[in-house]
Amino acid sequence: MIKNYIKTAWRNIRNNKFYSVINIVGLTVGLVVGLFILLWVQDELSFDKFNTKAPNIYKIGIRGGSGPTEQIFSAIIAPVATSAKNELPEVKDAVRVKDFGSTTFKYQDKIFNENGAFTDPSFFSVFNFSLIEGDAQKPFLDNNSIIITKTVAQKYFGNEDPLGKVLSIIDQPQLFKVTGVINDPPNNSSIKFDVFLPLSYLNQMAYVKNSTRYNGTGRIASMDVDWISFNYDTYLLLKPNTNIAKLQKSLQKIHERNKPDDAPVPYIAQPLLNIHLYKADGSDGGIKTVNTFAIVAILILIIACINYVNLSTARSMLRAKEVSMRKIIGAGKAQLFFQFMAETTLMFLIATILAIGLMYALLPYYNQFSGKQLALNLSNYHIWLCIVITLIITLAASSIYPAILLSSFEPLKALKGRLTAGMGNASFRRMLVITQFSASIVLIISTFIIGKQLKYIRDKDLGFNKENVISLSMHGIMPHYDAVKNELLKQPGIIAVTRSSGNIIDYNNWTGDNDWDGKPANSNLLFHPMEIDKDFISFFKIRMLQGNAFTGAIADSNHLIVNETAVEAMNMHEPIGKRLRIQTVKGTIIGVVKDFHFSSMRKKIEPAVFMYNTSNGWDMYIKTTGGDAQKAIVATQAIWKQYNSNTPFNYTFLDESFSKLYKTEQQTGVLFNLFASIAIIISCLGLFGLATYSAQVKTREIGIRKVLGASVAGIVKLLALEFMFLILAAIVIAVPVAWYAMSKWLQDFAYRISIEWWLFLIAGLMAMLIAFVTISFQSVKAAIANPVKSLRSE
Amino acid sequence: MLSLQHISKFYQAGGTRNFVINDISLEVEAGEFISIMGPSGSGKSTLLNIIGMLDEPSSGYHYFAGETVHQLKDKQRSALYKKFIGFVFQAYHLIDELTVYENIETPLIYQDFKSAERKAMVADMLDRFQIVGKKDLFPAQLSGGQQQLVGIARALIAGPKLLLADEPTGNLNSKQGEEIMQLFKKLNKEDGVTIIQVTHSEKNAEYGSRIINLLDGRIESSKQL
Repeated sequence: MIKNYIKTAWRNIRNNKFYSVINIVGLTVGLVVGLFILLWVQDELSFDKFNTKAPNIYKIGIRGGSGPTEQIFSAIIAPVATSAKNELPEVKDAVRVKDFGSTTFKYQDKIFNENGAFTDPSFFSVFNFSLIEGDAQKPFLDNNSIIITKTVAQKYFGNEDPLGKVLSIIDQPQLFKVTGVINDPPNNSSIKFDVFLPLSYLNQMAYVKNSTRYNGTGRIASMDVDWISFNYDTYLLLKPNTNIAKLQKSLQKIHERNKPDDAPVPYIAQPLLNIHLYKADGSDGGIKTVNTFAIVAILILIIACINYVNLSTARSMLRAKEVSMRKIIGAGKAQLFFQFMAETTLMFLIATILAIGLMYALLPYYNQFSGKQLALNLSNYHIWLCIVITLIITLAASSIYPAILLSSFEPLKALKGRLTAGMGNASFRRMLVITQFSASIVLIISTFIIGKQLKYIRDKDLGFNKENVISLSMHGIMPHYDAVKNELLKQPGIIAVTRSSGNIIDYNNWTGDNDWDGKPANSNLLFHPMEIDKDFISFFKIRMLQGNAFTGAIADSNHLIVNETAVEAMNMHEPIGKRLRIQTVKGTIIGVVKDFHFSSMRKKIEPAVFMYNTSNGWDMYIKTTGGDAQKAIVATQAIWKQYNSNTPFNYTFLDESFSKLYKTEQQTGVLFNLFASIAIIISCLGLFGLATYSAQVKTREIGIRKVLGASVAGIVKLLALEFMFLILAAIVIAVPVAWYAMSKWLQDFAYRISIEWWLFLIAGLMAMLIAFVTISFQSVKAAIANPVKSLRSE
Repeated sequence: MLSLQHISKFYQAGGTRNFVINDISLEVEAGEFISIMGPSGSGKSTLLNIIGMLDEPSSGYHYFAGETVHQLKDKQRSALYKKFIGFVFQAYHLIDELTVYENIETPLIYQDFKSAERKAMVADMLDRFQIVGKKDLFPAQLSGGQQQLVGIARALIAGPKLLLADEPTGNLNSKQGEEIMQLFKKLNKEDGVTIIQVTHSEKNAEYGSRIINLLDGRIESSKQL
């Protein structure tokens, strides 16, 4: 029996090549895209789950700042972790992590940059980063120990035993002995470093030996009494079912007891499992994108299913004769039902095999595209779950419906061909076409709006000029900055050179240590302090609104320049000459600059203050003439070599750093483009099939009309009009949905476009046009056919 | 074997009833070969379909093989006709996707015959109709006469007691038609299959043992040959 079903199904697929190809292509493309997106979503949702203790690990942050500058600090002071572990019974363990960025390590002649962090030994037991080599009980043997990942070990030591080998940091005297090796952190880990040094080493170097940190009473001699440096990512391992609200209060109490003048400092404990997709306060940190993509994946799968359902239900009318005959010679309902199921399943099987093959072939490109390292693992039950669910939905809609329909009609009428008119249940199919096109149009509109917003960000006046600027970190140049600057300015292609204490594209330093005349007692305003030299403002063509820029005079060390937002936030009238203290600089405001964007457009511009400093400032900027940029780079590299014999030369164009700031948005944009195209292609494929079918069914009507004198145009209109109304209905449904969804998306941007009505018009017209072209292809063919032929075949 | 009593079939059109079959009573004995004749619209096919249980009468009593058909449920009725009745159509109505062999085999599948049994039965039937050589062809590859032969083979495969044929030669040329009629006669005489056929042709009607003439849904005349 089953053999018979499969045989019939296969012959049906083979004998109707046109519909089979449309169906299989639609299903395959839908499955490939849908599964790819779901793989991505699954990867995003899997972040940090590999940590077996993850459900009980929390990251600790605090809320700081007031008014417009309220912020969440995800790095906190060091003693909180130790106090919490000692005093709070619910805290089982604590881990502090202090990122020390990219650092150049050396072993014999092997020199590489590694991302590293200082951390507590508990890091290797709280997280699933247990040592694969070394002593798990005592990961760091002493302050000069280093723990490295497997890849790092391989890189420096090849197949030799890494334990006991000694790494050095370029241009520094310290040596570090490898005491442990861990597996590389998985791609879906939020915490990713190549090398780890003991936090006690940092304590030794920065506090015990040579502390530069002071509090009200004197030098701070240990990290564990430093209640002012917010530097440490802090994770607590809690007992199960800990009351988080109570824990937050306890942490706050510890802080306020030790540093009463900080009060109030609300603490936030964020589950480790949330940190990849949520911000510490629970707001969106990527979860929205994940949800959107999941919805898009489901939409695309639905669109593909609808194609199948539409075509097979439409075509079931053509098969009425066969089904009737089977009924007359004794087929029961169940038997007919299973015959249809067998057909769908077979079709699906073919599409699934094709889809999986295609996914294997496309995976490298997809990874490049999505910036992930996804693997297609057929033992991953999620993939099969997704395939099976899609299959079941398709089966349900495309087999059960026609099966019930076909097995319930009276066979005699079907044999006489009377059914074709009545049984179509066109309204069901119409609804499906509308659904399909609504989804496609929503995606088209979204693509437009995302594209427009991205263009807006790219083209918006930042308030400073970033064109043709190279930025680099100074390293060895720092003490010789003035000499290097003079030298560089002599090089062809270099117009100007300046420096600052942070990257102007994405500036993230904060200080709450400030005071000004008339500062309200409850104000906790935060400033972005940026140390610059005298050329910085003219270099970037930042506009001065009032007062003057720095001149390089000695007095400038007590001069401050603020931005418009700062003036407003301080509620200061006539700011020039007013006193303002930022950290240790008790200064006077000598100028106000026009607001400029020193961070993502997602954020409103915040208060910023420029301080004049001739010796600080890690970032160097070199402005080139566009044409001679390459020459300038070569010259810079030559000079760099003189001061940094070992550190590799790295530079970026500000334009690139700027684009990187919006990498996620760019990717979203590209992906949406792709999704929208695919959705519309699959939908059109279905529409094409339906139009073909419709022309087939109406062959006789068209023949008669032509004999009676109808024109080709008239007949195309007859065939196309029905579908165009469906598209129109789809537009009506899609517009409000797209408007709502896109308003939500745009809300994330402090600076954004307004949604304009003509975008909807264009998207609608586009859908109409595409649909019309699709339909007319068949309609014209039917209309120009010789009527004698079509009438004779009746 | 079959008894129709006061069978009517009508359609309600406004206030009036349009009778297709108007109070027909008919007794058919096992072994008869009946030809139903009459002009277009006289109700021949409808009568045949009622006998074959493909259509239900609006009123009247219907007995078949000892069962009270008008009181049976759908399922029982289809079980009954599956077991006892075979159909032959003017347009053959073979399943295009199936080969000759499979077309003949299909009713057996639906009646849950075992695979080995089916093989034997179909082989026997192919042999009998001398179409063994055609068994792997599809209907589109056969002539009309051959297709009708397959149609008859399919109708007979499950060993029905009653064969219903609706203008079986209507689409065939006279030579092919004659062959089919010879076959019917042989089936009736040698195998004892009861046959009821609808036909337009006087000549074909005379192969039967009784001719019933219908006019406007009534039996106008009945003639024993």
